[in-house]
Amino acid sequence: MLNANTLRRTVLSLAAASLPLFSATAAHAAAEIGQPAPAFNAQGADGKPVSLASFKGKTVVLEWTNHECPFVVKHYESGNIPQLQKEFTAKGAVWLQVISSAPDKQGHVDGPSAIKINGFRNAAPSGTVLDPDGKIGKAYGAQTTPHLFIIDPAGQLVYKGGIDSIPSASKADIAKADNYVKLAFSDLAAGRKVAHASTKPYGCSIKYAD
Amino acid sequence: MIRRTLTALLALGTGLALPAAEAAGPQAATPQVRAELVASVSAVQPGEQIQLGVQQRIIPHWHTYWLNPGDSGLATTIAWTLPAGATAGDIQWPVPGRFALGPVTNYGYENEVTLLSPIRIPANARPGSTFPVKATVDWLVCQEICIPQQVELELSLPVVAAGTPREPGSPLIEQAVARLPVSSPWQADFSNAADGLTLRLSGAGLGALTSSDVWFYPGQWGRIAHGAPQPVHITGDSLSLKLARGEDPPAAGQALGGVLVVSSQDGARGYSIQASAIAAPTGGNAVPAEETALGAALLFALLGGLILNLMPCVFPVLSIKALSLLRHAHQSRAVTRLQGLAYTGGVLASFAVLAGVLIGLKAGGTQVGWGFQFQSPVFVLAVAYLMFAVGLSLSGVFTLGASAAGVGTALADKPGYTGSFFTGVLATVVATPCTAPFMGAALGFALGQPGPVLLAVFLSLGLGLALPYLLLSFWPALQRLLPRPGRWMERLKEFLAFPMYGAAVWLVWVLAQQAGPNAIAIALGGMLAIAFAAWLYANSHAVRPLARHGSRGLAALALGLALAGGYIGIRTGAADAAQAATTKVSGKTWEPYSKARFDALRAEGKPVFVNFTAAWCITCLANERVALSDESVIAAFRQAGITYLKGDWTNQDPQISAHLADFGRSGVPLYLFYPDGDKTEARVLPQLLTPATVIAALQTPSSPHLAKE
Repeated sequence: MLNANTLRRTVLSLAAASLPLFSATAAHAAAEIGQPAPAFNAQGADGKPVSLASFKGKTVVLEWTNHECPFVVKHYESGNIPQLQKEFTAKGAVWLQVISSAPDKQGHVDGPSAIKINGFRNAAPSGTVLDPDGKIGKAYGAQTTPHLFIIDPAGQLVYKGGIDSIPSASKADIAKADNYVKLAFSDLAAGRKVAHASTKPYGCSIKYAD
Repeated sequence: MIRRTLTALLALGTGLALPAAEAAGPQAATPQVRAELVASVSAVQPGEQIQLGVQQRIIPHWHTYWLNPGDSGLATTIAWTLPAGATAGDIQWPVPGRFALGPVTNYGYENEVTLLSPIRIPANARPGSTFPVKATVDWLVCQEICIPQQVELELSLPVVAAGTPREPGSPLIEQAVARLPVSSPWQADFSNAADGLTLRLSGAGLGALTSSDVWFYPGQWGRIAHGAPQPVHITGDSLSLKLARGEDPPAAGQALGGVLVVSSQDGARGYSIQASAIAAPTGGNAVPAEETALGAALLFALLGGLILNLMPCVFPVLSIKALSLLRHAHQSRAVTRLQGLAYTGGVLASFAVLAGVLIGLKAGGTQVGWGFQFQSPVFVLAVAYLMFAVGLSLSGVFTLGASAAGVGTALADKPGYTGSFFTGVLATVVATPCTAPFMGAALGFALGQPGPVLLAVFLSLGLGLALPYLLLSFWPALQRLLPRPGRWMERLKEFLAFPMYGAAVWLVWVLAQQAGPNAIAIALGGMLAIAFAAWLYANSHAVRPLARHGSRGLAALALGLALAGGYIGIRTGAADAAQAATTKVSGKTWEPYSKARFDALRAEGKPVFVNFTAAWCITCLANERVALSDESVIAAFRQAGITYLKGDWTNQDPQISAHLADFGRSGVPLYLFYPDGDKTEARVLPQLLTPATVIAALQTPSSPHLAKE
């Protein structure tokens, strides 16, 4: 009469009905706050493999970037992102740039060029991940450059969104804006839940393969 | 690669580093966009409002952005420099289009768009002078790559005296006005459930639309997933859109605003939508405004039905049934089960009848809600009589059913089944005033649904009510948990008469609220007649046939007198009482609710607390005693300058029914707090109040999101 299957279905549907908040939007954004961050193994700009799992125990920042995007230019020319990279890697965090531009699209570079460009713009990430087929970007639901994700030492996603609170291409706005990355790190350092865990990312769209 | 970098750098150079490339005038151009500042008039008049437009002509395949740019991008902004005293309103955005680039979807404009801004000319503008305007316009223009650009546009308009004939303004303005969304002629609400948001529109004309040409553009980022498909479902004159939740879905109680764009061969037409959230059950720990989808509604209804068993008016009925089970312990299992099924059948049949009546009334256009039957004083009186009669029976004044003379032993069990069936009916009748907290949302959901769904929810509620007895009759093991039969059963039965008398007393009080003090005399007189009839009936068994018929006839006469007298007396009294009720307010902490008073307070931006209640609603009365009459709450109201409006739904009131419906409710209680400011959203309080929950709700700071909506 009541086999295990129907029972499971019933329990699931009851759970779904009573917990509408928690069965969220997996269909279009795999990276959810409070959930394990999607794992990846990729090629680094230095030719070495990069695996997210190898950073377990450390806080990891993923920064989607495209050096030709004016919004990225804003945060590099102003020194905003390089300064954040230096500050938090000095405190033991791992900061990875991710380049998901497809070949022949804006922002696509090979490993040596990526390192050279970082030299020009005083960038100081722990590493640069090349994602020309967009797999990592799509797994995280990355949409803009810049778009930032922070993963806590336990491997859970604790922040996703914009770099700060004022969407504009003007450097003058950086000082006026709330820097969400800094705020997230101070919440993490104090052992608090990240207050603004999901914010609006702004910038250029990521130039994924068609 | 190098070529692309070069073009990008070039573009950056022209766009960013060289703002306002040309000498300031009404036109400016970047390699991607030609911009022009135009006006709705050729000359301005003091005190009037005009429209200024910024037209963007965009090269093919590039686009600029709408108010909500979507997943990436940036909305165009205009900073105005105007003469002293002049003011500019927000940009009025023509209907947008959408562009997908892989997983990224944007909302904006291709080819050409004119962004309108209303400008108020100061009353002291001097005819003969000029009205100079400067617009600093920032936009992001993208194809695959994105370029932020800024231009400055200037325009100088002559000032002429009011009434002076003038040349028409730019035709671009009229074209842009024609592309603005109009306010939607439809009712809009939305629910937020496990499988996403559902936006529902209802009203004439929707049935004519086809599903392929409708798209909802949310006014704010992240409310929905911008690029997700929007399955459309059109039935009759209602339309529903399934929307995937975005990164920042609407918070509890928050409205969903945006533009519904309907495309046809004549072009795209936009309708501004401000959909209110359908409130979800608000138990102790506030459940967010989620849709009570059918599954959840059925579950809540079942739970609500179970809880009804514990209500003071239902518990005695159930206890009587449980006792009879013990008394008939010698019966075969099959008979016991049939008893259980008969009881369940009685409950379900009554709920089906209630659902049928509701469906009928709804079809007739009447605004009804749960407990509607208690809005009829005649019904209240009838239930009061019924309670009293059941009480008399429990007290042993008279006995109905199997022990009546002349019924053969062969048939002895049959009245048992009919008895069980009608016990089920009785349980339903007495349960209706006790809306358990869980049921509010489920019933609210059901009342807004088509007939079959409504019926399903009601039957689920009935099943919940019948379940304990049904289980008891099917599992003898459970019966063994009940105490052994004995004389105590008779004592308990007699004792249970008192809750029934209590219920009757309460109903008479309700009646007095509805129909005035005279109703008390009528009701009590009727009860006297019923008691007399019961006594005559009980004593008619033993006596000779003639006397028996005589006393039974007299009993029937007394009963008829009670019913008819009650009916006529109450009907005429109710109208007077309704008039009296409206005039008897003074020296109270609350004012009676009226739509006009409420709207006036909200228009002034005053904070308002609204309590929708009814004399027949026990939960409402308990909340008023425990929380809303508490001194700390009254003091908090006074301190915050809150006007406390009390909407009495004891009798049917279409204004209150409509207000309840705005929050997806069809019954009371409903407690709403509107913080100060004329645009603030209502906070829905739980259905069970304590002074602390009320005060906490008053003190929660307004969310900045709410203020923006």
